[in-house]
Amino acid sequence: MKEQSNNTTTILMVGNPNVGKSALFNRLTGANAVVSNYPGTTVDYTAGTLIEDHRTYEIIDVPGTYSLKPRDAAEMVAVRMLDEHRDATVLVVLDATKIERGLYLALEVFERGIPCIVALNMTDAAHDKQIAVDAAGLQRILGVPVIATTAISGEGVKHLADMIRKAQAADISAIRSRLNGQEQNRRSMAGCGGCSGCGGCR
Amino acid sequence: MGLTADERWDIIDAITQRTVGTGTYRRTLGDALGDLTIQPLTGIPVALGVLYAFWSIFGSFAGSLVTDGFMVKLFDSSWLPWLQAAWPNPDSILYYLFVGDPAADNCFEAFGALTSGLFVAIGVVLPAVLIFYLMMTVLEDSGYLPRLAVLMDTVLHKIGLHGYAIVPAILGLGCNVPAVTATRILETRKQRFIMMSLLAIFIPCGAQLGVMLEVIPETVGLVMLYLIIGFGIFGFVLDRLIPGSNPEILIDVPPYRWPAWENVTRKLWSRTKGFLKEAVPFVLLGVLIVNVLYLTGVIAALADLFAPLFVTWFGVPKETVGPLVAGFLRKDLAVAQLSTIAMTPYQMITSVVLVSIYFPCVATFVVMLREGWRELLAAIAVLIAVVFIYGGLIHAIGILMGVA
Amino acid sequence: MNKNVSVFSLFIGLLGLATLASGLADILVWAGADPGFSIGILEIAGDDFFRWAWGGAIVAFGGLFMLAGLKNTDDLQQSATVLLGAAMVWIIAGTDIFARFCESVPAGEEAPEFFNSLSGFLAGFAPPYPPAILLLPFTLVVAYVLFTRRFDEAEPPSTADFPNRL
Ligand SMILES: Nc1nc2c(ncn2[C@@H]2O[C@H](COP(=O)(O)OP(=O)(O)OP(=O)(O)O)[C@@H](O)[C@H]2O)c(=O)[nH]1
Ligand SMILES: [Mg+2]
Repeated sequence: MKEQSNNTTTILMVGNPNVGKSALFNRLTGANAVVSNYPGTTVDYTAGTLIEDHRTYEIIDVPGTYSLKPRDAAEMVAVRMLDEHRDATVLVVLDATKIERGLYLALEVFERGIPCIVALNMTDAAHDKQIAVDAAGLQRILGVPVIATTAISGEGVKHLADMIRKAQAADISAIRSRLNGQEQNRRSMAGCGGCSGCGGCR
Repeated sequence: MGLTADERWDIIDAITQRTVGTGTYRRTLGDALGDLTIQPLTGIPVALGVLYAFWSIFGSFAGSLVTDGFMVKLFDSSWLPWLQAAWPNPDSILYYLFVGDPAADNCFEAFGALTSGLFVAIGVVLPAVLIFYLMMTVLEDSGYLPRLAVLMDTVLHKIGLHGYAIVPAILGLGCNVPAVTATRILETRKQRFIMMSLLAIFIPCGAQLGVMLEVIPETVGLVMLYLIIGFGIFGFVLDRLIPGSNPEILIDVPPYRWPAWENVTRKLWSRTKGFLKEAVPFVLLGVLIVNVLYLTGVIAALADLFAPLFVTWFGVPKETVGPLVAGFLRKDLAVAQLSTIAMTPYQMITSVVLVSIYFPCVATFVVMLREGWRELLAAIAVLIAVVFIYGGLIHAIGILMGVA
Repeated sequence: MNKNVSVFSLFIGLLGLATLASGLADILVWAGADPGFSIGILEIAGDDFFRWAWGGAIVAFGGLFMLAGLKNTDDLQQSATVLLGAAMVWIIAGTDIFARFCESVPAGEEAPEFFNSLSGFLAGFAPPYPPAILLLPFTLVVAYVLFTRRFDEAEPPSTADFPNRL
């Protein structure tokens, strides 16, 4: 499974439980993963393919987890998938209505130095709850693409698929320095033009 | 790896300060209702109401409307007479296997693969699982399940489980197979083992419930009561016997959402398709195998062998061995077959409970094996002990009440 | 406004009492082995545990919830309690109506055809009714009032104090 042709990239969907990973996965791949409104719906992984712009991605939906220190067998599956697919790209899915816990997991993933892209899901629910998350600002701070999505209506999913190729590893110390107000490296990132300021397009 | 948890939280604080803005949020009536369904004082009556609605709709749709209203008529007065007339040579083995008893006037008693097999699969179980899956999908998608988990937490902790164990338990009412994998959300091996054993032993699946509703409508309540009591008693005992911890974890309760029509139909369709593809062939095959076993005298031999156990210990007729064999393939089939054996109402209750608890069906067996063979062996040991003790206990209760 | 509220409270109070009473009556008729109780279009058959004891308890709880939410009906939490009480009645009334529907679509065991005639179908919905169905219209009025009132309150556009950062 892992040794596929060179132009297939494996994408692991990682995020807290019940943030809409499976719903997003279904949207991206047209697959039929079970989506329910309770944490712990997905307890095993499911793979599907996405062909975007002549590239083939193998997308893997994994069980939700709160951190990379697994507490139960379902979370163990998620962490195991990360360990098994060292060369994979990670699609971190955040719930815009409670982004803190999602960011905790995101930081843990970033620390592994894996190429990442962030989907800020449930933007409709956040809007209803009067919570505004600045996706562009988040992208600037994290230095990886952040795309706002609404998995149940499909909003932003096309954009997300399009941006997967721009995934890149985040640098924790750069994140820290940007948070400390040292925004000098921001200018160099804006040079890309196409995608509102993520770091180096390769 | 660099950061400590505190450092991460510091970074997160700084990030959210810059990127997240919260407006003033007004609680809605929906939020207030959501809280009320968690507080025990209001939540428990609501849970009773939900359970009532579940069972009532299940009975009305699967029982009165589809099965009694249309399927019985279709199968008993059109399909069965036609097949009995059209299939050549009533004395042949093929006739026995596929059509069954040439004198039967209903599809429960004929017991051929194309008569009872089809009737049970399509006429009784299909409408039952259809409505069951529909209601379960609504429960899953609305966000009620985790609230039920919070409500049940205190009770389930007494039997060594976390409140979240209610999720596999309810999934198990649909089908035990996904429920076994769903036990992965429980934290310790002890909890998973207890839940898996209890699931395989005491939770009847939707197909079986559908047949029970059809063949023993008056006593299905008592059967369920026995199963729930058994679940409690043996959960309590297992909790004391098995080493390991039963930690508290916080349950993350999502907001209520309206089930999306698209998602409901998608799940309903894929589950129903799964049923048609996997269960229907199994039911037909089950009838065939049981018929072959009858023909070759295996069942009669087994019945004589186990007669002392069945008659004196469980207090049921020795003929119930046949359905128990069928029950290994499909429990729904086994219950349908039980209904054709002559016995007293209490014997019927006992034997239906026995069919439910005695062994998981093959499909459940296979997934349990996938979750770990050591656990499976231990679960079987538990199961055998439970069948003996509980079967005997139910018989004893019957004797005490003067009905057995 | 104030007067309206108190009229509304009075209405809920009476409805709550009626609901509680009918729930208890369901249970009593079932327990008393009474051959069934009926006046006019109201009937409590009380013949089976599930419908009358269990279902009756749910109706009774519905009444209790309405009474519990009586004080201060313009408080959100209290309104929700009343609404929950109404919803308990809907559970029983809804499943009763659904059961009647399911029983009157097919023609019945003896008839040769499959589907019921239209008149036979409609006859399935004829009175007498159990108390939950009779209470249904009144509880719907309560829900209607509660919902429309909430909408009024939520009207001032809250986007004003919403920091627009995007
Ligand atoms: N309002 C809203 N709801 C969403 C969105 N995405 C998903 N949902 C709902 O959120 C719930 C959870 O979705 P899932 O896709 O099952 O979540 P998951 O992340 O796969 O959860 P686990 O498998 O438990 O880890 C479902 O009820 C979805 O319908 C969204 O963008 N907006
Ligand atoms: Mg999922």
